[in-house]
Amino acid sequence: MSEVHRFVADRSPDVGTGENTDADTDAGTLSLVTRLGLREVEVTDLDRRFFDTPDGRLHGMGTTLEVRTPVEYPMMRSLVWLHGGQVLASARVDAAFEPGLADTLPPGAGFDRLRDTIEMRRLLPVAMVRSRLALAAALDTEEKTTARVVIDLPALRDGRPLPALIEIRAIRGYEDATARLVRRIAGTAGVDPTDLTTPDLARAAGGGRPFVPSRLTVQLDRGADAATVWTEVFRALHESMLVNFTGTLDDVDSEYLHDFRVAVRRTRSVLAEGGGVLDGRARDHFRAGFKWLGDITTPTRDADVHLLDYPKMLAALSEDAATALAPLGEFLIAHQRTCQQQLARELRGPRRAQLAAEWAEYLEGSGPWAERPAGPDAGRSARRVVAARVEKAHRRLRRDGRAIGATSPPVALHDLRKDAKRLRYLLECFGPLFPAEDLATAVRPLKALQEVLGEFQDTEVQAGALARFGRRLDEEGADTDTILAMGGAIEQLSVRSSRARRAYADRFAEFDTGAVRRAYERLTTTRKGGR
Amino acid sequence: MKILATYNIKGGVGKTATAVNLAHVAARRGERVLLWDLDPQGAATFYFRVKPKVKGGGEALLSGRREVSDAIRGSDYDNLDILPADFSYRHLDLMLDEAKKPLARLRRVLRSVSEDYDYVFLDCAPSISLTSESVFRAADALLVPVIPTTLSIRTFDQLDRFVDDNPDIVRKLKILGFFSMADTRKRLHRELADELRAQRPELLTTQIPMDTDIERMGVHRQPVTALFPRSRPSRAYEALWDEILAHL
Repeated sequence: MSEVHRFVADRSPDVGTGENTDADTDAGTLSLVTRLGLREVEVTDLDRRFFDTPDGRLHGMGTTLEVRTPVEYPMMRSLVWLHGGQVLASARVDAAFEPGLADTLPPGAGFDRLRDTIEMRRLLPVAMVRSRLALAAALDTEEKTTARVVIDLPALRDGRPLPALIEIRAIRGYEDATARLVRRIAGTAGVDPTDLTTPDLARAAGGGRPFVPSRLTVQLDRGADAATVWTEVFRALHESMLVNFTGTLDDVDSEYLHDFRVAVRRTRSVLAEGGGVLDGRARDHFRAGFKWLGDITTPTRDADVHLLDYPKMLAALSEDAATALAPLGEFLIAHQRTCQQQLARELRGPRRAQLAAEWAEYLEGSGPWAERPAGPDAGRSARRVVAARVEKAHRRLRRDGRAIGATSPPVALHDLRKDAKRLRYLLECFGPLFPAEDLATAVRPLKALQEVLGEFQDTEVQAGALARFGRRLDEEGADTDTILAMGGAIEQLSVRSSRARRAYADRFAEFDTGAVRRAYERLTTTRKGGR
Repeated sequence: MKILATYNIKGGVGKTATAVNLAHVAARRGERVLLWDLDPQGAATFYFRVKPKVKGGGEALLSGRREVSDAIRGSDYDNLDILPADFSYRHLDLMLDEAKKPLARLRRVLRSVSEDYDYVFLDCAPSISLTSESVFRAADALLVPVIPTTLSIRTFDQLDRFVDDNPDIVRKLKILGFFSMADTRKRLHRELADELRAQRPELLTTQIPMDTDIERMGVHRQPVTALFPRSRPSRAYEALWDEILAHL
């Protein structure tokens, strides 16, 4: 993607001119086109609805996705994915079109890249504006475009004007022309550099909902005691559960439940690691509560995984077999819906409400559970307590991983996956306590190891589930071709499973190198000589 | 990244117009496209208003002394970049001859940008030479415009013979021939086209018409598909691209 420079300008009548020269409040901004010697390409009034994933993936890339409708020609509606005015993908759409999951997007290479970007996430409306959009170009002596300029004069739907946005996009090989323009615009009165895009401005002014990051963000004080750090981590995980709760309940997309489950699992893991730090009875109480919460989400997550994996399954089959597998696709959709309805009932039920209320009280330091005495290690340095846990988990993973050979039973790999998860959660939840560089060296090969262990277990579990679904479809009188195609799909899963099994030795060896071991040693040395 | 070369031993058959318009069609559809103008005359470069100059010339590119990405220029169209022609390309054969593994050289040059583009179009000068052999080795498909005239068809036969005689050079190269500059008002064009189609059923069915709109590309210095997007030749280039995609 090309380099983009953005500037924001007040919607005052004298932007850039230093004086009020025109009754039209935007004249100053629009006159930049002539004052900078640009060629105006077109000026259009557009109604624009912007979309992004709940975690703001498009925002994170500096791109925007919008359904834009020319005010004068509403039939010419289009879906446009842009980076600073550069069209990454576009297609005409009708009035009923609403972007959602990846399969709602139009065909084409550009939209394939958008599909890859959003993955399983749903595109949701994030802002709506009416813009006067002026497109202009800087030209050289051959009349070749050397830089593109977009001046956007947006207003919220209630008419409130937003600041004007000026975007300059470099054309490859003509960066000098862009640099000259940037210098001139930067020197214009009332114009300031910005990283914001039009939907950012609209969201800021219109109170749009914040993006929900998938990554855990927690600030920890390296000198803090264990009780304080444990509470901080619990709070961050609680926040993650809360922001993903409604999306999980409404099944907006599968990632809400995924992130909700991750927060629950991490909470369970941090509770499990809290021996000596937390009160034993409170710890047992909440461990049981979050285990229940995790368990009720498992059937829906499994059903989501089947659906997410379905296209990959089809791609591995012949065209005929893929066609014959269509009833399985319908079955998986119906099955996911049933699981989701059951999950929603449980999540709206009294047990979840009680757990949520008790947990919130506990984190606030109120209620009966918070009144119980803390564990003996609560006042110790959190860094030392966590380092001891990391050292133990790392030692165990290495010991168990080294014991796995070509003939080890699958259960040994499944158990190892749990060991790896424990270590990963420790590193991620308490990450800010450690030096970032050593942490990255420690996490990278661990993540790669987890990928093969995950693939091995997921394909095994899926093959088992498919066999069960096959029996059910057979009982319901499904076509022989469908059952045969499912056999083919199970075989493909078994191929993937074997591939993951074979990849294990290499991935473990990459995790068990001297350099990685030394990174773990550096992470855990703080314990030596400590209390 | 797929590499497609517009090629014919004969000149003036619509190679450059094909490369320019197909590159524009593909880019407009969201593909990331690079057009490398290998013809020292630089017609494709001219159409895109880019200066026909590569710092250090073709030798710098081929030897790797100059990064290919530094020589690439953005066109006036989103997703479409140009690797301009350079007058030194007239000595490309000589440069390749002096290089190690000359046949693999062009593909090697493009390797560094293989993640940046979905399609690379090579607009080749007419001839059978070391350059064209290097193009045959680099490309996934040759797009061969053929005018329905006796002489043009003869050159297609020559290409066929070369392909048959040099399997080690062409390897898995697909040859996608199609009629170009076809004037359906001319009886001779119609007859020859029918005759050749009967002989060569593998020819693509889309034909690019002889049309003044294509000639106006030179005046406006734009692809006809940008200049007159709804015109007959533009529709033909769109259809041709669909047909090519089905064969790749």
